Amino acid sequence: MITLQLLVNGLALGAAYALVALGFVLVLNATAAVNFAQGDLVMAGGLLGVALAPHLPAYLPLPGLLLLPVVLVLMAGLGLVLAAAAYLPLRRRPPVAVFISTIAAGIILQNGASVLFGPEPRAAPPLLSGGTLDLGGLVVAEQSLAIIAVAALLIAGQQWLFGRTQLGRRLRATAQDPEMARACGVRVTAMILITFALGTAFAGAAGLLLANRYFVTPTAGGDLILKAYIAVTIGGWGSVPGAVAGALLIALFEVGVSSVLSYPVALGLLYATLLVILVARPQGLFGEAARRRA
Amino acid sequence: MRNGVRKLWALAPTLTLPRFAGEGIGVAVLVAYALLYASPYGLRVLTVAGVYALAAIGFQIVFGLGGALSLAHGAFFGIGAYATGILGSQWGLGFAATFPVSLLVPLLLALLVGLPVLRLESHYFALATLGIAQVVHLLAVNSPGLTGGANGLPGVPGIVLFGWAVPRGLPLAAAVWGFVALGGLVAWRLARGHWGRALTLVRDDPLAAGTLGLDVGGLRLAAFALSAVYAGAAGALAVHTQRVVSPEVLEFPVMVSVLTIAVVGGRGRVAGAILGAVLLLHLPEWFRFLERSYLIVYGVALLATIVLAPHGLTGLLDRLFPSRPAPLPEPAAPPETAIPTGPLLRVEGLTKGFGGVRAVDGVSLTLEAATITGLIGPNGSGKTTLVNLISGLETPDGGRVMMGNSDMAGQRPDRIARAGIARTFQAVSLPEGANVLAAVAAARLERDGSIALAEAHALWALERLGAADLAAKPCAGLPAALRRRVELARALARQPAVLLLDEPAAGLTDGEKAELAGHLRAIAATGTALLVVEHDMGFLLPLAGHVLCLDQGRPLYEGPPEGVRSDPAVVAAYLGEGV
Repeated sequence: MITLQLLVNGLALGAAYALVALGFVLVLNATAAVNFAQGDLVMAGGLLGVALAPHLPAYLPLPGLLLLPVVLVLMAGLGLVLAAAAYLPLRRRPPVAVFISTIAAGIILQNGASVLFGPEPRAAPPLLSGGTLDLGGLVVAEQSLAIIAVAALLIAGQQWLFGRTQLGRRLRATAQDPEMARACGVRVTAMILITFALGTAFAGAAGLLLANRYFVTPTAGGDLILKAYIAVTIGGWGSVPGAVAGALLIALFEVGVSSVLSYPVALGLLYATLLVILVARPQGLFGEAARRRA
Repeated sequence: MRNGVRKLWALAPTLTLPRFAGEGIGVAVLVAYALLYASPYGLRVLTVAGVYALAAIGFQIVFGLGGALSLAHGAFFGIGAYATGILGSQWGLGFAATFPVSLLVPLLLALLVGLPVLRLESHYFALATLGIAQVVHLLAVNSPGLTGGANGLPGVPGIVLFGWAVPRGLPLAAAVWGFVALGGLVAWRLARGHWGRALTLVRDDPLAAGTLGLDVGGLRLAAFALSAVYAGAAGALAVHTQRVVSPEVLEFPVMVSVLTIAVVGGRGRVAGAILGAVLLLHLPEWFRFLERSYLIVYGVALLATIVLAPHGLTGLLDRLFPSRPAPLPEPAAPPETAIPTGPLLRVEGLTKGFGGVRAVDGVSLTLEAATITGLIGPNGSGKTTLVNLISGLETPDGGRVMMGNSDMAGQRPDRIARAGIARTFQAVSLPEGANVLAAVAAARLERDGSIALAEAHALWALERLGAADLAAKPCAGLPAALRRRVELARALARQPAVLLLDEPAAGLTDGEKAELAGHLRAIAATGTALLVVEHDMGFLLPLAGHVLCLDQGRPLYEGPPEGVRSDPAVVAAYLGEGV
């Protein structure tokens, strides 16, 4: 029973990590750029939820869930700003330039948040009521199930957008070969902006989902970007399903080891495992999906 | 707006100052400020600026020169700090004992983790080093017995130099800045010397660096290790200044500060590290209202610099006050290397597969001294892969590459280059930031003792190809034909016994091709064996004494060039007809 409960917790955490990793890998594929600010964007989404919560009318039944669309829209806007300030001016420069510019964006977000909110941990409202459900003896937090459901819906939406729509075809074309896409009449810059908006919105959603049970502090981004990075690395650099699978894997690892030992040990082991994977199998556990761009 | 900026630059005074005028003025201003104006608080800020300058100088070595974005630099700083903190406060050891340990522990850790981690590509390297930093931080916070945990350890003694306990205030600032001066001088000499040149080539083009005889892995590891020593020294001085060590020294803000200082000051420049540190450590004083969130200012400064002035403040100063271009050296022929006669390179049954595709499948060939061999075949037939296998950029699955009596197959590119094999690339790659002379001189770094000598020999190689007039030109913006010429000169400067050329005539006009053919004949006449990959039969067949044609990785034809056009298998492979 304990194992099942841990599994649900792990899946819920993994679902949120999957959104973070998915946003990271979408931007990576579209731009070949590593967005180091992704973790800080998750933190920003969480604090946005905290800031918006008092403005919700108290008589409405589903407080957290109502915030989700607002957070998605505002974060998408932040993604556009990020792309315009930290990516577009550096498109023709070596990749390390974007790496540094997004580190800078992350620093600004992190310290801006600590000026506005202070350093102490904050909690966003739960998506539903915040209670627990008894499923035939298995007691599960409603929030866990809600996180899984919301993340699954968002990921399914992304899959539908990319797989079934004209816009999705253009986004995929841009990710596969920007030069060729441009030659075929795709407005590549617009597609890149949309991808940044989408990736940032997913980060924000993950922030809102995480910020209820795990709290949010302005410095939370550092660990989150590492976890997104680890998920994408073990899932195969550039692979979208791999990123989701990698995120679930590390969340289960984290929850499992934390329950037996402790969270710092779990984190230490996770990073140590990452180093071993990087050294022994740099192409990831499932093979590298992104080609090297000449 | 770009145009406006360019016009502004054109208007900027083209006044040239004596060498080191800027550095001299900077030092004078700093000393005058410290002696005459600085309050005790101001001296403290200046001392901390010195600590960060030292850390940033180390970061310039690994990141600026070596191009590796190490996010473990803050961890090395923190480890140096904890080494001094633990030994000083718990064991009661003095500066003379703790300072060397603070250099040694980061050095050992860097050597230990550097070997596996430095092989990784740029973003993986950054991630792996960030992972190391997080593990070190976790360990420090969670081992209270050793490190004092989250509270840290108080009671760290001050600096003692030759029996003199350095008091706070001006003496401490002077001592810290003395270390900065010493460390800066060492780093500056290394950066502008032989080693720094080699390291920048490793940064700009690791593939080419290997084929020019430079040990890419060794250079990177040395840079990583040396940067760790600087970080450890800075960490030790930081703890002596604060007299307390706590996990703060291992947190991300340290890393962020060092990165910002290096980028804002100017990547790869010692003067940039110092200028950046003095400026950025004083910025929070001017933005007092932000209190402890001064890092917002750092973030904005970092973003603005990387977007608007990628070469940092020292780069801007260089453009405002350009230094006189160094005069060209007198060309000098390098000492003759005796090239034996007869077969120089024997390739036997070389095989390489990528996934399921056999890119090179049992290829054998012999390159004789003073001959030109043509390597032809349709696109994707394995020509470039064969060149990559011989030069060590790819590892063969099977077969031998015999130079004399030694099998070079699977060896590192620099070992193969040192054995006498040089090559050019199909897509010419020259370091965009360097001028032509420096780019060609890179080929001599492995052999010549000084840069002056390497450049004299490089000029000789350029002269042999009639390209000496290009020497002072920047590589960026050279037209394609001249780029190929410069790259050939770079390969020639290696005085190779075997020279592999991958499509040297691509993109050249007929006149340029005729000139190139003349140069290649002259190179062969000195005894070098040439292998020329080429599609242009009109260029290649009159030039080559022997031709090998590949198709799908297998040899299709081998023999005199006259027989190529009439060979039915070759014709079928090119035209796609059944034999």
